[in-house]
Amino acid sequence: MTDNWVRRLNPKTKLLMIPVFGIATIVSPGMLLGLFLLLVVIVMAWQANIIKKFLQTMISFGIPIAVMLFIIQGLYSPQNHTYVANLGFAKLGLEGLMYGGKLLVTLLVFMGSFYLFNKTIYSGELAAALIKSSLSDKGGYLILASLNVVPQMKRQLQVIKEAQEARGVQTGGSLLTRIKVFIPLMGPVILSSLIDTQERGMALELRGFDLKNVSKTSYIQVVDTKLDKLFRIGMLLFLIIVTAFSIYLKVRR
Amino acid sequence: MKRQGRRVNSGSLISTKVLVLIPIAVGINLLGGTLCSTLKLPLFLDMIGTILVACLSGPWMAGLCGLLTNLFLSVVANPIYLPYAFVSFLCGVVTGYLVKMGLFKSKLGVVIIWLTCSLVNTIAASLITVYVYGGASGVNSTSLATIALLATTKKIFLSVMSTAMIENLLDKAIVFIIAYTIINKIPSHFLNQYSPNLRSDR
Amino acid sequence: MKVSSKDVISVNNFSFSYPQTKKPAISSMNFTVKEGEFFCIVGANGAGKSTLCDSLVGLIPQYFLGTTKGQVLVNGQETTKQTVAELSLEIGLVFQNPFNQLSYTTSTVAEELAYGLGNHGIPRSEMLDRVAAVAKKMRIESLLDRDPLTLSGGQIQRVAFGSTYILNPSILVLDECTTQLDPIGSEEIFTIIKQLNDEGVTVVMTDTETERLSMYADRILLLDNGLQMGVDKPQAIFAREDLEKLNISTPLNYQLTQELTKIGILDSPEFNQDIILEKIKEVENGYR
Ligand SMILES: Nc1ncnc2c1ncn2[C@@H]1O[C@H](COP(=O)(O)OP(=O)(O)OP(=O)(O)O)[C@@H](O)[C@H]1O
Ligand SMILES: [Mg+2]
Repeated sequence: MTDNWVRRLNPKTKLLMIPVFGIATIVSPGMLLGLFLLLVVIVMAWQANIIKKFLQTMISFGIPIAVMLFIIQGLYSPQNHTYVANLGFAKLGLEGLMYGGKLLVTLLVFMGSFYLFNKTIYSGELAAALIKSSLSDKGGYLILASLNVVPQMKRQLQVIKEAQEARGVQTGGSLLTRIKVFIPLMGPVILSSLIDTQERGMALELRGFDLKNVSKTSYIQVVDTKLDKLFRIGMLLFLIIVTAFSIYLKVRR
Repeated sequence: MKRQGRRVNSGSLISTKVLVLIPIAVGINLLGGTLCSTLKLPLFLDMIGTILVACLSGPWMAGLCGLLTNLFLSVVANPIYLPYAFVSFLCGVVTGYLVKMGLFKSKLGVVIIWLTCSLVNTIAASLITVYVYGGASGVNSTSLATIALLATTKKIFLSVMSTAMIENLLDKAIVFIIAYTIINKIPSHFLNQYSPNLRSDR
Repeated sequence: MKVSSKDVISVNNFSFSYPQTKKPAISSMNFTVKEGEFFCIVGANGAGKSTLCDSLVGLIPQYFLGTTKGQVLVNGQETTKQTVAELSLEIGLVFQNPFNQLSYTTSTVAEELAYGLGNHGIPRSEMLDRVAAVAKKMRIESLLDRDPLTLSGGQIQRVAFGSTYILNPSILVLDECTTQLDPIGSEEIFTIIKQLNDEGVTVVMTDTETERLSMYADRILLLDNGLQMGVDKPQAIFAREDLEKLNISTPLNYQLTQELTKIGILDSPEFNQDIILEKIKEVENGYR
């Protein structure tokens, strides 16, 4: 993992960015602010050295939605009154296009900041940050354990699959045969992982998971700099101002 | 000061025993969900774990499980799933309450849960598809069916909903069959540590 | 051997039944474990070994639902007087499946070891020292930066062992902690257990397989169907006639002494390596 200022930001700061940017985009009239925030996220992705992957994901996510929005909203929105083009089978409406555009920008801002957050934090760091911020360490547990459980279950599945193959059960083949094989495969994995939870809970209890009135510490150090705090306060102020200003514009109109 | 004897679980909001179920259930959901998205199936199969939690630890934990599942699906598979977290939450809570009413004890009850859950899912998901995504959340067979309906009926919500309903009935049928089978295979060893309302034979 | 006369565990007429079961999983248990002792619990599958272990560390009755009778004292205090977490600073538990002992919230072995310390609010500087010390003891120094989920079973068991031991308990309860490991993995664990015991840690260990236990145990508790069949020195336990009936295999070395006694080379079936060697030498000399 390369080191740069985006990565060094406290996970909480990057987490807060998601709702702040998203909500600001939604409440602001038009899509200008949204486009600006999208630009900010793109610049941060560039600074974090993940720009290529970032753009790939955004494009593969954005284009299908843009196409669908163009058809559904542009051609069939009941709000359409001003038509900009006639495609023969349907007419392209300005209102639907604007609505679709705003929606697209909002989605991209949400997804973009979410992607940025996701790719520039180290998961242990998030838990440590959450524990520090007294935001329930149980929440931290749920997030991290869920993320860690999947690879382990996939491995179990693989083991069973190999065993089945060794016994001559067909696991390749057409889609339907694959599904038919897969569903009975999942049963034992689900059952055994469920039963395992009993011991996992015991282990957590033994290791002091449920201790109260203790200020917990962490092996991983999370830096929460002055800059981070400044960023977070700044973002909240920004959101308040945008919201107030948007309401003011709405009321005046 | 004299230390009072106390039980570990009594003070906490969520007991550890219940808490550890959730990541596993989320994992089960993700396994089904990613399976469908990699095989490009028009299904989700991402509710098996939620149903199990609904049976073992009640509606709110099931809701939480649904919520987390979508959160992670959007991380590992496709960010499109994020807004539907609300739908999964709702389905978990509804299933949990119906299980609490004792409906999971009989096959007929399970059918009722299945239908209710499909309906709730359809309505909530359609609302999200229409209001968040403006009608379709990507190019797939479901969205194409929506457009075809839209071209003939010219009603966005109705079109989205009818395609979602068919998809949901099928998806939830598979999911409930799997969950019902599993629940009936869980050893009583494990079940007696929870307070489920599941089997009619006791 | 430095077994003191102090009782660190005393189990007084203790019984436990799981919910919705008629028969108690363990009933009327009565025994004590001395400080520094290597105490083993032997019984067939389902005999109640795990139930007993869970009772010693307070998981029964605090984590498991069910009904109890009698009491378990650890270092003179009833287990119900403290939470399981507080108790784990005095008595640690390692169980069979190492995968289930991981926290699933860490991405390196070092973090995993430190997890329990963090929950107890131990300052980070002390945490680092203790992680280093325990890693050395468990011979996992080279694994500290690895992701726990990528390790082999034997390695994970040592990590799990370490994350229990890092809380500095003076008593360790080991519930079939080597059963799922390959011979090399389980040998490594046994070496560590033995070393800890030599350093004064009290060890309570269960197994279905008696071969190795018989070599280390100071005393053995024989368990069958939830009932305590006896607590005694290994020599006495393995000389019992009813072992086969209880589905417990006699360790090879005891089989040997028993056979030697039958043919009159040994006077009593008590296993003592020195005596056996001596007698065999005598016989050897006799043949010459
Ligand atoms: N949660 C539970 N509910 C009901 N009965 C249980 C539960 N856990 C264990 N038992 C029963 O209690 C008895 C003792 O089980 P326990 O697991 O303590 O045995 P064990 O000696 O550890 O066996 P093994 O060698 O298989 O680990 C068994 O009859 C078992 O079926
Ligand atoms: Mg056991």
